[in-house]
Amino acid sequence: MNLLNQTVFITDADHPSGRALIARFAREGVPLALNSPSGGNAIREELAALTEAKVKLLQLDLRSRAAIVDALEAVEEELGPVGLLIHNQHRYEVTNLEHCSESLFVDVMDTNAKSAFLCTQIIGGRMAERGFGSILYVTSIHAEKPAAASFIYSASQGAIQMLAAEAALELGRRGVRVNTVEIAPVSGEEDHLTSPLSTLYDNYARKAPLQTVKARDLAELALFLSGDEAGALHGATIRLDGGFLLHYMDHKMKKST
Amino acid sequence: MDVTGKTALVTGAGTGIGQGVAIELARRGAKVAVHYNSSREGAENTRRQIEALGGEAHIVQGNIANQEEVQRFVSETADALGGLDILVNNAALQLNLSLLQHDETSFDKIMHTNLKGYWLCMQAALPHLKKRSAGRVINISSVHAKRPTDFDPVYSMSKGGIRMLTREAAIELGQHGITVNAIEPGAVDVGKQQVRPELPPAGGEPMERSDFRMHFPLGRAGKPQDVGHLVCFIASDASAFLSGAAIRLDGASMLL
Repeated sequence: MNLLNQTVFITDADHPSGRALIARFAREGVPLALNSPSGGNAIREELAALTEAKVKLLQLDLRSRAAIVDALEAVEEELGPVGLLIHNQHRYEVTNLEHCSESLFVDVMDTNAKSAFLCTQIIGGRMAERGFGSILYVTSIHAEKPAAASFIYSASQGAIQMLAAEAALELGRRGVRVNTVEIAPVSGEEDHLTSPLSTLYDNYARKAPLQTVKARDLAELALFLSGDEAGALHGATIRLDGGFLLHYMDHKMKKST
Repeated sequence: MDVTGKTALVTGAGTGIGQGVAIELARRGAKVAVHYNSSREGAENTRRQIEALGGEAHIVQGNIANQEEVQRFVSETADALGGLDILVNNAALQLNLSLLQHDETSFDKIMHTNLKGYWLCMQAALPHLKKRSAGRVINISSVHAKRPTDFDPVYSMSKGGIRMLTREAAIELGQHGITVNAIEPGAVDVGKQQVRPELPPAGGEPMERSDFRMHFPLGRAGKPQDVGHLVCFIASDASAFLSGAAIRLDGASMLL
């Protein structure tokens, strides 16, 4: 780990992944800029534990360029330069393409994909000016695997996957490392994407040959990816699913022992 | 690759790939709705070429990013052609701005046209496709659904979104007997600078014709007709079990 004490910016501190990231990076003693849609209510426990860390709590609409620009100025003035951006927006609404409304489509796409673009452009752009920094997109296995429950969510994850590839080229030439983790639902979250058209999440826990993913697994991986030991990892996509997507048809798979 | 008697709507059919697709569908016997947004002259040109082949074409107009306009021109298509068997989503934008050059307006323009527009057309076409025994949705995407462009990140984002939209739609629409597939063309020579391989986009190095084989194993870029041939295969009864696929159509150039 070598962020040189630069600030870590987490776009959704309230998400289970965000809460685990807070705890892990706080142990490293780095300043934390935490965007909390609940204004901190959802992360009271985590915040209470941050007795020594420098923290700035934000409540931003990340679909707004102006909001991110203003927040970045405030964060860097108070905490110092942002060295790691972790984008982990995951809005999903169960819907189908036949009945989905246009406003819902735009809202989910903007919350997930447009926010990723704007954060990359503004915060990643600032890193590029300095010639130093790292971006980690926490996307989903649904950037590859349909959920049959929220087509907009999957499309937004596919879009972020390509944003990461483009950012790795454009910002990589200016010293910014860019990687992606495609995470499976952490325990309990799989219920959000069950579908009458798919058995994907039936018996979720049993389908992962190793274990289902925990938010702390992501936090450890994020920490590794931010450090010097991962210096050659750039433009990479790491699937963090405990082997879940190796499972395909129930009747062809052996039962877990 | 017989599509005789089938009806098709091709968006963005006044130019380039869309024009090639519309003409190939008509050549093989489909009645075609030639959609355009701003290129009326191009749509007329496509219709003339189809009629010269003895085919039937009907021109429709509308902005695919606007839900009301999409509903209108899809209805017009079904009324004019007597239903709809095949939707070819093709109309798309590319602005060639870098990550740091794009702004919110350019971002929204591309994403709303290329990604939301494809979904809106599918949604509007669905009631008509469900009435047919073998509906087809064919999304013209790009190799940049998997490979970055290095010249327009938002274009890539839209294509990455289409890749997953296609997979999701294949599951949902499959219950109605409708197949959904994507074609991912590489460089296609449509007479515009940004897609002609000898004149790559800003920032790239000019390529001599003699270098073609170093970048295109078949010694040439794609043609709109190449895409049209594949569309006709997917639209035909011969491909009834093909769904949820993304077929790269690049003459193996991405393997180099």
